[in-house]
Amino acid sequence: MAVQDAIPAPQAVEDTAGTVRRKRILRHAGIFLTLILMWEFGSRIGWLDPLFYPRPSNIMRSFWLIYFQNGNVWYHLYATMSLVFLGWIGGSILGIGLGSLVGFNSVLRRFLKPYVIVLEATPRIAVAPLLIAALGFGASSKIAIIVLVCFFAPFINTLSGVMNVDEDRLELFRSMRASKMQVLRKLVLPDAVPIIMAGERLALTAALSGALVAEFIQRDEGIGSLILVYTRNLNMASAFACIFTLTILGFLIFKGMEKIDFYVAFWKYEGGRERVSAKRRAAMEGPDHA
Amino acid sequence: MHNKNSPATFWVFEFIFRVLPHLVLFAVLIWLWELAVGTGFITSIIIPRPSKIGGAIVELYITEGTIYRHFFITLTEAVVGFLIGATIAISLAVSSSLSETFKRYVIPYAIVLNVTPGIALTPVIIAWFGYGMGSKIALAAIISFFPIFVNTLTGLVQVDEDREELFQSLGATNYQVFRKFRVPAALPLMFAGLKIGLTTALIGAVVAEFAQATDGVGVLMSRFSFQLNMAASLATLMSMTTIGLILFYTMEFLDDRIVFWRRENRRAAASRARARAWKNQL
Repeated sequence: MAVQDAIPAPQAVEDTAGTVRRKRILRHAGIFLTLILMWEFGSRIGWLDPLFYPRPSNIMRSFWLIYFQNGNVWYHLYATMSLVFLGWIGGSILGIGLGSLVGFNSVLRRFLKPYVIVLEATPRIAVAPLLIAALGFGASSKIAIIVLVCFFAPFINTLSGVMNVDEDRLELFRSMRASKMQVLRKLVLPDAVPIIMAGERLALTAALSGALVAEFIQRDEGIGSLILVYTRNLNMASAFACIFTLTILGFLIFKGMEKIDFYVAFWKYEGGRERVSAKRRAAMEGPDHA
Repeated sequence: MHNKNSPATFWVFEFIFRVLPHLVLFAVLIWLWELAVGTGFITSIIIPRPSKIGGAIVELYITEGTIYRHFFITLTEAVVGFLIGATIAISLAVSSSLSETFKRYVIPYAIVLNVTPGIALTPVIIAWFGYGMGSKIALAAIISFFPIFVNTLTGLVQVDEDREELFQSLGATNYQVFRKFRVPAALPLMFAGLKIGLTTALIGAVVAEFAQATDGVGVLMSRFSFQLNMAASLATLMSMTTIGLILFYTMEFLDDRIVFWRRENRRAAASRARARAWKNQL
């Protein structure tokens, strides 16, 4: 069986770091393949009802169908992701802006606190039907839902980042007579960047979920309504192909945010300071050499 | 400013200076809202008058009382789903912290589960578990699994090396190290995960109700919304906030009792209680 091929013969290799790593990867692949094969055979000998639990081979065929043969997933992917990004950007701007405003102004903070607590306790996705009823079907209500869903994480994180500013540094800034704007731009926001970025990552994931819920309710276009329609038609293999598409998207979002974090909050990473300062020096020297 | 020895004056001042401004602001906002709808500045179909919302609240919660059945159904779904998700997550996290091999083979699947938006599974879950409470509980369990798993595991694995060495040099058994050292060290992070998990469990239950259900606050909410009965819809939303607050403060209370050493006053109280129990034993 394929599993036995995947596991290397034990006497053939000596234990260097590279071979240990390779062995591990092979073992992971072996376990994964075994699970998949068990699923496939369980379905074929009738333990799992293929109507509800589609076979891996059928899911693969559905991937081929929805991506290449019919190619219908692209349209829905585009419909979902464009709204997700629009809503995410809107929600982030709103969240970071309000967060820094509230973080700076203690009076505002005091009076907004009860409302923030109430908003925090409400499952924000629950407002989706209300917004759809208010704004009508279509893109506007979807974007409103996404903005609402992903506004909160950047808001709270910016707020706590702004409020947890280092007192000693603030005193240094004050003693050098920095203006309020300078304190905000040069001290508070840069200090808050790592925690804001963490909020942004949460927000993007939440935005995807918000878009899916909006599509489940509206059932017009987008990957969420595609999943819903396939499930309703008991075309489970295609539904699973869509869900695994979302898994891949989730991975891409995760990696992409990590990449952005690597450039925006560069000082958190090993060698980040040196990398950026070398780049800045090169940029400063550049015009002289030209 | 005020006499601290008299509790009555303390509460009066507390009320005047801390609570009253909030109430005044709230009243002014509500009045402005009422005015804006009354003058036609805001369309009343989309955003109803506060007085109409108040009427809907009275109707739903007091005179007809229709909301309570749905309220308890959603609460049950969220809590049961959360308990199932938390049980699985904590047992997997404990097993992974005990066995390096187990951890290595579980983590990839946990990550795949995490990057997939759990909500995307809603239609499939409903096809598997039916239109009843089962599908809501399942979705709540799936969504609440990951934050609890990852926080518990991080707490159990990230330990203070010096303390561990102390335990070992005093000849603690593996079980003692786990019971007296790793678990208490992991509890604060675990509770943070449980709090997130509880919130997401409620989201899971409500979203599954939107997709397909007969009872629950989510159904009520979407039904009222599509009848354009915004006042009742907002009144229903209030019940979700209430569920959220109940769940959050229950968890906060448990956190306070169980992870008592993080709070100064709770620490003192706990040590007093233990001293008393010890004296009674003698």
